[in-house]
Amino acid sequence: MTRIARLIAIAATTALTLSKKRQLQRSPAATGALVGQSRTIVTAARRLNRASGMIAGSVLIDSAMEHYRGNFSNRAMWTPLATAAMTIGASAHGLGDRQHGAHTVRDTIYSTAGAVGLVGTAFHIYNITKQVGGLSWQNLFYAAPLGAPAAITLSGITGFLAERVRHNRPGTPELIFGYPAGQVVAGGTALSLLATSAEAGLLHFRGAFHNPAMLLPVTMPPISAALLLRAALTGSAGRMTTYFVGATAAMGLAGVVFHAYGVSRNKGGFKNWRQTLFAGPPLPAPPSFTGLALAGLSALSLIRRARRG
Amino acid sequence: MWSDALNAPRARDGKAPDVLHQGGWVEMREYRDTEEVDFVIVGTGAGGGTLAARLAEQGFSVVAMDAGGWFRPIEEFASDETAQEMIYWNDHRVTDGANPLTMGGNNSGKAIGGSTVHYAMVALRFRPEWFKSRTLLGYGADWPIDWREMWHWYAEAERQLSIAGPLSYPWGPKRGRYPFRAHELNGAAKLLAEGAQKTGIEWTETPLATLSAPYRDANGTSPPCVYRGFCRFGCSTNAKRSSLTVFIPRALAAGAEVRDLAMVGKIETGPDGRATGVHYHRDGEWRFQKAKNVIVAGYAVETPRLLLNSANDRFPDGLANSSGLVGKNLMTQSNSAVWGRMDTPVRSYKGPPSLAISEHWNYDDNNDFHGGYLWLGQGPMPIEWAGVLTGAKGLWGDALREEMRDYNHMVGVKMVGETLPNEANRVTLADDVDQYGLKVARITFSYGDNDKAMIDHALQQMRASIDAVDASDIFDQPDDNCHLGGTIRMGDDPTTSVVNADGRSWDIPNLWVCDGSLFPTVGGVNPSLTIYALALRMADRIGEMSKRGELYRCRM
Repeated sequence: MTRIARLIAIAATTALTLSKKRQLQRSPAATGALVGQSRTIVTAARRLNRASGMIAGSVLIDSAMEHYRGNFSNRAMWTPLATAAMTIGASAHGLGDRQHGAHTVRDTIYSTAGAVGLVGTAFHIYNITKQVGGLSWQNLFYAAPLGAPAAITLSGITGFLAERVRHNRPGTPELIFGYPAGQVVAGGTALSLLATSAEAGLLHFRGAFHNPAMLLPVTMPPISAALLLRAALTGSAGRMTTYFVGATAAMGLAGVVFHAYGVSRNKGGFKNWRQTLFAGPPLPAPPSFTGLALAGLSALSLIRRARRG
Repeated sequence: MWSDALNAPRARDGKAPDVLHQGGWVEMREYRDTEEVDFVIVGTGAGGGTLAARLAEQGFSVVAMDAGGWFRPIEEFASDETAQEMIYWNDHRVTDGANPLTMGGNNSGKAIGGSTVHYAMVALRFRPEWFKSRTLLGYGADWPIDWREMWHWYAEAERQLSIAGPLSYPWGPKRGRYPFRAHELNGAAKLLAEGAQKTGIEWTETPLATLSAPYRDANGTSPPCVYRGFCRFGCSTNAKRSSLTVFIPRALAAGAEVRDLAMVGKIETGPDGRATGVHYHRDGEWRFQKAKNVIVAGYAVETPRLLLNSANDRFPDGLANSSGLVGKNLMTQSNSAVWGRMDTPVRSYKGPPSLAISEHWNYDDNNDFHGGYLWLGQGPMPIEWAGVLTGAKGLWGDALREEMRDYNHMVGVKMVGETLPNEANRVTLADDVDQYGLKVARITFSYGDNDKAMIDHALQQMRASIDAVDASDIFDQPDDNCHLGGTIRMGDDPTTSVVNADGRSWDIPNLWVCDGSLFPTVGGVNPSLTIYALALRMADRIGEMSKRGELYRCRM
């Protein structure tokens, strides 16, 4: 593949070597009185791994399709594929890992994903500004999408938070950088949902919201984000928050069906899939919402756990 | 096969082609010839098709006729320039004058849907001052309609046609948001934009009557544009929003009858001087459809031709012609271009041909000529391009073949320029007759000094724009014309106009006109949206007049 992919692979191998040291700090799930909390911590972390993997899956397929459409004209266009694939691997590993303690390799991959997303965003901004018209609606609609690379950053952040949650010791309050873990994850998820909703809003605006269902991703996620923000600030969350965040997760999956319908409405429908899959709404995009909402649900369970003491 | 569409009428026996569904048919109400319908409409383009829908939707009985065939775009429109000639009005006409007009693909359609079947979908509003160009700008003639009223109908037309346009339009008074977002620019449009930026003038995405997102209504669905590029040869996906795909289906659903291959040859008048119906040729015979009102919507050549061909003892100079102005003040729009060659491929033929626009010179009055012009990005198809090279550069044989190899690299911009009304430019009847035995139109046109000054100015400006993008081998295509206007001038005064603001004849109150021939001035923008807007306004006005009992023997 590319030099960048090789660099990432080298970074991952190095991290794996270094991780042996951290591995020593990792421990099996606790026993006795701490079992309940231990399970909660690991379960919450695994949920976050899953959420990260879900977002990365969305990024992998979406960027593969879009960059294939763009003929991979710039070598850097392979980067999100490599990064997302590694993030999926890390997340699958995390999901199967029932031990405490952050895993250095996963941490490295997640951190790399976070950084790659930021670099990708810079690339996309550069792509937009070099077009005639610069930062215009035309280019926001049709040049490299501003929000897309950010999704891999969100995947990385979610995974990074998963590792931070997992690093808590049973018997101590779950914290991330000294703050209640559930609230931190809830806050981060809320902001991520808002950003993703803005991206969907831009592209659905390009489609003139021609189908009322296109309003869902610009209404439900912001409501969920507001409820999660409240939970982040107050350290408590009601059922309504869970319902909305759960519904947002479902919406992300339903979005694939809606987008499939959108593809079918392009000339030739699925019989002409080699064109319509690219011309129509992107099938892999909506599950980003599911991934983030899963992170939100994980945050809510942590918050409730913290509240119960 | 499309030839079927030209062999025998398709709309008959209570059904008509459903162009929105492959192989589909829709029920169609039919009227007997002896049944005196409220309106018979001659022509089914932006004027006639729109009126057929809006009048039928208000409950009037409507029969619309068109000399052309009823094509099924998704089955019959080929990616073949020559085959698609079938949708143009290429019947015999005589052209003369110092600058004989090029007729056909640029300005004359012959199909259900009229010229909107092949139009480039450029959907622009007039500059407000043009509606009072005589009073405010000192040239041409004032329109009898205020620009603010037109602004309302423009918005309505844009809504009904789902126009895809930019979020802010750089010129003219503020307008509402276009229903659909602008399309992605193609290579040619990006170069127009770059040229405009480098020469310091504004540009924007062209508002277009082709979908940028799927559309659905009660009559069917249309997919978004696939950027096939054959727009001016017939859109085969129905993304194009035309009279054929928008208003004709609505007209049928509302109970109008639409007759294809029905050539109207004469409007009959009764003893009271009012129109009584039309003689039309269909299925190999001449027939007569009775009607309470006749609306002519055949565009700036066929409309005056029909009125002149309808002369009788009572109206020896043709119908509605007491002013003597029927056929006079024919205007075209100058369509000169500048072309060049880019080192990297442009592939300008991808997508609608005119995705970007500069109306800068429509809004600048500091020139030594009256009127204005715009320019649009271009995407000629191969045969068309060969025609440009042959006509403008005189290439032939090997030289032409060699130059055609650069087809992917060519870039150009083309003006749509206002020409001034002049009574000497006119449509009259020639002695030749066509396949129906009807006298054909003689089209006499010469550019005036003002028109020439504008073309010179435009060529200079367009050259600067093409030069600014570092094109090489730049050349002018000075001689080309496109849309038409005038010939049935609308106005406030029966002595200086043929019809009033409602398109109603001053002489025969149940005879109406609704097409581009109404234009007192053509402006420097493509005319289709203005014709749609006039038709929507006219349908609304007719509804009001009917309620007030102001229509001849026709009251809702």
